[in-house]
Amino acid sequence: MVAKKITIEPVTRIEGHAKVTIHMNDNGSVDHAYFHVNEFRGFEKFCEGRMVFEMPSITPRICGICPVSHHLAAAKAGDKVMGVEPPRTAFLLRELMHMGQIIQSHGMHFFELAGPDLILGFDHDPVTRNVVGLIGADPELTVRAVELRAYGQDIIYQVGGRRIHPNFAVPGGVNRALTAEKREHMLSGLDKAIETTQIGIQLIKNWVDANIEDVEKFAAFHTGYFGLVTPENGLELYDGDIRLVDRDGLELEHFSAQNYLDIIAERVLDWSYLKFPYYKKMGWPDGVYRVGPLGRLNTCDKIDTPLAHQEWMTYRKINDGKPVFQTLYYHYARLIETLFAAERVRELLDDPDLMGNDILNRKHDFKGEGVGVIEAPRGTLLHHYWAKPNGQLERVNLIVSTGHNNWAMSEAVDSVAKTYVKGPEVQEGMLNRVEAAIRAYDPCLSCSTHAIGQMPINLEVLDSKGDLIQTLKRG
Amino acid sequence: MPPPYHDDQEGVLSKGDQTRRMTLKSKTLIIGIGNADRQDDGVGWHILKNIAEKIGFEVPDDPGAPIEIEDERVDLMYTLQIFPELAETISHYQRICFVDAHTADIPDEICWTELQPEYERSPLTHHMSPKTVLSISATIYGIIPETILVSIRGFSFQFQRELSPRTASLTQEATERIWEWVNAPLT
Repeated sequence: MVAKKITIEPVTRIEGHAKVTIHMNDNGSVDHAYFHVNEFRGFEKFCEGRMVFEMPSITPRICGICPVSHHLAAAKAGDKVMGVEPPRTAFLLRELMHMGQIIQSHGMHFFELAGPDLILGFDHDPVTRNVVGLIGADPELTVRAVELRAYGQDIIYQVGGRRIHPNFAVPGGVNRALTAEKREHMLSGLDKAIETTQIGIQLIKNWVDANIEDVEKFAAFHTGYFGLVTPENGLELYDGDIRLVDRDGLELEHFSAQNYLDIIAERVLDWSYLKFPYYKKMGWPDGVYRVGPLGRLNTCDKIDTPLAHQEWMTYRKINDGKPVFQTLYYHYARLIETLFAAERVRELLDDPDLMGNDILNRKHDFKGEGVGVIEAPRGTLLHHYWAKPNGQLERVNLIVSTGHNNWAMSEAVDSVAKTYVKGPEVQEGMLNRVEAAIRAYDPCLSCSTHAIGQMPINLEVLDSKGDLIQTLKRG
Repeated sequence: MPPPYHDDQEGVLSKGDQTRRMTLKSKTLIIGIGNADRQDDGVGWHILKNIAEKIGFEVPDDPGAPIEIEDERVDLMYTLQIFPELAETISHYQRICFVDAHTADIPDEICWTELQPEYERSPLTHHMSPKTVLSISATIYGIIPETILVSIRGFSFQFQRELSPRTASLTQEATERIWEWVNAPLT
């Protein structure tokens, strides 16, 4: 019998609403838990009637957290709709901007959001369990962490010319070549960015060693894994085919993003407004999969930059070459990807074609439909457009990273709640672990508005009649 | 009482970061926060435009375009969200004014809050608050600018750049009060 319900409402924004409910039994144990998302899908409707070339400017306004990912996915979808191949210089410049996005987003997530949990501990006083508390533990690292995020953001600015609302990538290429001065500027900060990332990697490895028991039982479950790969199945974040592997790492599919509708379907469940994608052939729920850093490092067979590849080899030994399924390893995977992105920045800056002036292909062969895919920091992002011959969009479908991980996040919440939450009085550290399970996936919950007064955390304990017994609140 | 400006805090880089003190700007930085393409969420950007116009500069009707003004009293900055390295930016100023939207959770139509450094944790997302960035500035650079947060009630958050009539009617009053504060002597 379910006797109590605990509700955590971490995000209550204008368009998005997410909460966690933990249903407890009379004996103080957890019966089951859910992660509910109410995702506003009106943006797709809003885009209908717009011109395809406008989309790279419009879609970044969905989200203030990963605008570059939407910007580039929209430009790539525009390439396909217009039937145009960007020149190599444009391709490289877009990828460089994307690497900046990966560095800034992953860097901020690990050091500013997840790091305090790991370095200071899940049960550390919440007043100082944050980046400021971290300063006391490691001042130099904290300053470096702020600089790492800033370095990634600066790449976006140097390449795109704007700090917000980039208008850089367009169907067929980009509208701005890179100057030698900007190239030198980006190179000058690279070594330190790599060093900081390596410090972070050592930090997470030490933490895993010291907390291996928790790591092994914290939201550890099997799924498939999904992500872009190079033609030789190397890690890929900007372009390539999608690879789907099963829980043992065996390839299920290797397909062009243009065909994603043949491979995945979406399930609707009555307790969440966000759909649950799954692999069609395996059906629901056997076909659920994960995206993002863990998914990508389980999907690839190698990494094409030396330092990241060396680290990935260590990572793959965790489960003797089988996919790493324990959720807390998302943090390790995220830092390996950061290292890859930083190394890739150097490769791109060293590529002579990067400095070319052939940046826009104006020869179109209009196709009318196209899919743009990119690995956003938190997972695979798909933009699918259908356009009239004049370029006006008739239909838009966006599958965002957080959607792919919807099942996994809920499973993680359920698993962690059952493992760590004990009644009747729920302690803050228990709540923090449940949040940490979601945080590991770095979800983006419709973040385009940030009005004040809407970010509390509420934890409510309700009895079987729905009466409030206990409330914890912070935010 | 507003928090007095401090440049003598024990920061990570140094006590009161001497280099930073030498380059400190005596003027005010006004930071508009929010998504200007989500109607009232972008009221901060609209107030920046009002202030720019007040001192004789025109801001393009494009939130992505930099706000370029030259004035001995203020600098203006628009951002979709607050991020950690903003701490470095604010540590160069003696006075900061954040301008944002708020919702019905806050009863006042114009809410004027004097801020102290305090790390406010965002449980799941990349969101940061003005108090948090102030806290990072204090901890890393040892500098706490005198800081206020002015938030204006938002009523509608549709996909458009024009403010709702009710929020638009509040922006003029908010602009005047901010400008008065900018021109008042440092506390």
